[in-house]
Amino acid sequence: MTVADVAALMTTLHDDPDLRFLILSDLAGVDTGTTMQVVYHLWSDTTPDWLRVIAEGLPREDPRIPSVTFLWNGAEWAEREAYDMFGIIFEGNRDLRRIYMPPDYQSFPLRKDFLLADDAARSPGQGVRHMEQTFMPAESGAQPALRQGTGAGTTDALPMTTDALAASTPDTADASQRAPT
Amino acid sequence: MSAEPTTIRSLDDPTIMVETPATIYDAIPPYPARTEREAEFYALRDGEMLINLGPQHPSTHGVLRVVLRIDGERVVDLDPVLGYLHRGVEKICENGDWHHAISNCDPLEYIASMFSEAMPVLAAEKLLDLEVPRRADYIRVLCWELNRIASHALFVGWLALDLGGLTPILYGFAERDEIVEMLAALTGQRLLFNYLRIGGVNGDLNHDFMSRLGEWMSRALVRIEEQQKLLNQNEIFIRRTKGLGVVSADIARRTLLSGPVLRATGVPFDVRRAHPYSVYPELEFDIPVRSEGDSYARYLLHYDEIKQSIGIIDQVLAKMPDGPIMAKIPRLLRIPPGRAYVAIESPRGQYSCYGVSDGSDQPFRLRIHDPSFFNLQAVGMMMPGNLVADTMAIMASLDPIMGGVDK
Amino acid sequence: MTVIGRSWSRLTPAGKVLLPLLAVLLALPVLLVVGWATGFLPWLIGLLAQVLGANADIVRFLLAATVLLLFTVPTAFVIIFMEMKLIAFINLRLGPNRQGPWGVLSSTLHGLKVLAKEDFTPTGVDVPVFTLAPVVVYLGAIMTIMVIPFAPGLFGLDMDIGLLYFFAIAGMGVIGLMMAGWSSFNKYSLLGGLRAAAAIISYEIPLTLAVVGVIMLAGTMSLNQIVLQQAGSALDWYAFQQPLAFVIFFIAATAEAGRTPFDLTEADSEIVAGFATEYSGMRFGFFFFAEYVNVFILSALTATLFLGGWNAPFDLAIVLNALSVTVDPTIDPGSLGMGLLWLVLLGPPLVVLLLALPFWMLKSDWSFIKSLVVGFILFNVVVMALIGIWAYMSFPFVAGLFWFLVKTFSLVALFVIMRGTLPRVRIDQLMGFAWKWLIPAALVNIFVTAAAILVIRSGTD
Repeated sequence: MTVADVAALMTTLHDDPDLRFLILSDLAGVDTGTTMQVVYHLWSDTTPDWLRVIAEGLPREDPRIPSVTFLWNGAEWAEREAYDMFGIIFEGNRDLRRIYMPPDYQSFPLRKDFLLADDAARSPGQGVRHMEQTFMPAESGAQPALRQGTGAGTTDALPMTTDALAASTPDTADASQRAPT
Repeated sequence: MSAEPTTIRSLDDPTIMVETPATIYDAIPPYPARTEREAEFYALRDGEMLINLGPQHPSTHGVLRVVLRIDGERVVDLDPVLGYLHRGVEKICENGDWHHAISNCDPLEYIASMFSEAMPVLAAEKLLDLEVPRRADYIRVLCWELNRIASHALFVGWLALDLGGLTPILYGFAERDEIVEMLAALTGQRLLFNYLRIGGVNGDLNHDFMSRLGEWMSRALVRIEEQQKLLNQNEIFIRRTKGLGVVSADIARRTLLSGPVLRATGVPFDVRRAHPYSVYPELEFDIPVRSEGDSYARYLLHYDEIKQSIGIIDQVLAKMPDGPIMAKIPRLLRIPPGRAYVAIESPRGQYSCYGVSDGSDQPFRLRIHDPSFFNLQAVGMMMPGNLVADTMAIMASLDPIMGGVDK
Repeated sequence: MTVIGRSWSRLTPAGKVLLPLLAVLLALPVLLVVGWATGFLPWLIGLLAQVLGANADIVRFLLAATVLLLFTVPTAFVIIFMEMKLIAFINLRLGPNRQGPWGVLSSTLHGLKVLAKEDFTPTGVDVPVFTLAPVVVYLGAIMTIMVIPFAPGLFGLDMDIGLLYFFAIAGMGVIGLMMAGWSSFNKYSLLGGLRAAAAIISYEIPLTLAVVGVIMLAGTMSLNQIVLQQAGSALDWYAFQQPLAFVIFFIAATAEAGRTPFDLTEADSEIVAGFATEYSGMRFGFFFFAEYVNVFILSALTATLFLGGWNAPFDLAIVLNALSVTVDPTIDPGSLGMGLLWLVLLGPPLVVLLLALPFWMLKSDWSFIKSLVVGFILFNVVVMALIGIWAYMSFPFVAGLFWFLVKTFSLVALFVIMRGTLPRVRIDQLMGFAWKWLIPAALVNIFVTAAAILVIRSGTD
């Protein structure tokens, strides 16, 4: 399923009398390190069925996806949050502005390349991370250090096996010697 | 005063105040509107005024800023601005352990924090496919229902306080104080309990907790009935809440409302019955539903729910099995990769969590869906046409908790 | 000189008043002695007596005005304390109980706190209007005390149009509220000020219309005369002859005073503090006091107009006659002769011992000293009660003052209890209630009263 089909798919799931997934239970953005995903959870209000729809493969540079606000008004703020945290642009959302961060904030906090300062390793092998390295959506000049996982490459795009972590420890150790930008 | 097009001066920039002469009061943001809705909102017509129900206000439930566009005393439109309590909980959870996520997620619903704690716990258990011991499950349900009653008791108080009655909130706090003291005997904490663990709960029921619970239960129903008497038939209260903030069932569904707000419109949707979890399938309780959809219906519905919760606690105490309270999990918890979605019914509505694990001991993505976040969108639908004085009443009747709204 | 000039400019306005006063106070004994020695002082006193005697009315008026002005502050303190304690008891809590025994000093400390706060003027305000607004509100409240009769002979000024004067001056407070709302450079204050103006003006009409019935019954607008017309027993009070007017007046008075359920002018859960948002320190203290003085005055007016003012609900003489008890309250100490000396010397210790003994004997953990102290306190209470009873029976103004205060403070307590229990009414509901219900009711009351008077008076003629 491509990204462009999201609107049609949602409409079908919503309107089809057999399916009747009338409740959008959650709309989440996920950054898998390589690509972005938008995950919808749909509930039927009569049966205890639920469905998870993952729209994946959104490119990191310019993630765009049709909005579902035409079906559910309440998704507007959830999409705003996904935009604010990840930079995913929902086409068709009338009010796509930042909801948590100040309006002139330049980066997207929940992306995997938005790193927080950490004073100690949370688990073995992680090391100290840099201060906030922001990611400009439109410019692709500086390539900030991505969190490991680019080598995973499965379509499921769930990186971060522990082996991959252990293998790339020296990188972060080196990176931590540099002064934060 | 406005800068060049490339740099946007944020309204939260403190230097703006220094440079702006006081005689110019520019409520409209000093940057071009970013979206069409914003343009539509900030285009003031003749006689309209923008007033800021700001983050510091005695009545917004937490730090919420609502920009109202008013015409005289009538609200024409409003624009809630969130983010004043944004703590980056989801990001912080990603940097810590699954166990750290429990105490990180506690303050998301700080009034009834057992529900927000349950998010990483239930997600992790679903990812691990872990079977929680029955006693732990029953204790969880007991704590959840006690938290629900404590939260609802406070709701009534806030609604009355925003309408001007000084007394019901203190009755609510008296009720809540007893519950919170007994939970402190159980968990060691009065507000942010940090009690649920992956695989069970932290400590077994003890004598102090049971004796306090017994004392409270013996008086609970009677006191709830008494407290209802103060406001239920009060003419002023009824005239201020009846017909106010009406939501129809259709709009409620489209706006993805949940919880008492949805049930007051006539939709009998409760996560405990629709997507049962924990031991709720074994317990008998009704889902109180009212059909008017106004603030008065929401107010009465909260009392109905308190009574149902007391019934549930009775059943739980009767059926409580013996056994361990914690399942066996390894010390260093590595959760296999996967995705899990769990939902529970919190006092405000459907509280759910989408957890993604990547095989390590840190959550890869913990997305928390908070009911107050979605319920607060209804404010934009209910308020236009009402008076400024009603804004607070309507917001109070939706029972938002800004901790969850802003995460 | 520049040192003095700089130090002077560094003083706060309060300091600039107090320092010269202190200087005068220190210089006063010296001046008095010098004046006495040179004979200047006796001459001055003689001249003053002559001048004052010639203009006794003006002197009385000025004295009354000063006393009443000073009287408002302790009254406001008492009402504030009462409110905090009563509402606390309604709320199942204790209220202030640490400042002084049972928290009685809390009001005084609040007053001092308000005086000590920083007094600033926010940027953008209209400074003269901003500064004068609290003054106007306060004056509009306290100038009306002049006409209220506290006791037979105890009133500021007995005007033939006392009631009209009252309503005229009470309406002045609205201007102050609007000044405050407009001059604060704040949208909340503007909303609050406009709401206040709308509410108070709307309720002035039922307020005045409700008393027209009383005026018709009494035949005069002088408050003193109205009270005298209600002499007799409790059944002569106008509350029984004008029940509808009583209810309307009370409701309108609640709105005039800005009390719950009509306190949307200062609804602190909606528009922070309404018109008073930008005020701090003593400026806010003025609004605060003005509100409580307003409560007191409106209760006093209700008591005067409808509850008989300073009349006792029953006539003590009749009761005593029925019991065939004659009490002669005149005390002639001289008739005791030597017995007076014995009474003064032995009376207090004996009575203290008498009162202390039961405590000492019945309470095993109390020391003798402790029971003596308790006995002494009780002795004081008993003596004060006896003096009070004697004063009640010999001076009519004491009795009148006592009953007046009882009635007024019960109405104030009613205001306070309403605040603790009722939620707030919305502005449009408030205005609708005034214009659609209270004014027609008041008009109906006037017509019925007029018809009744016509029928009854023509019947007796």
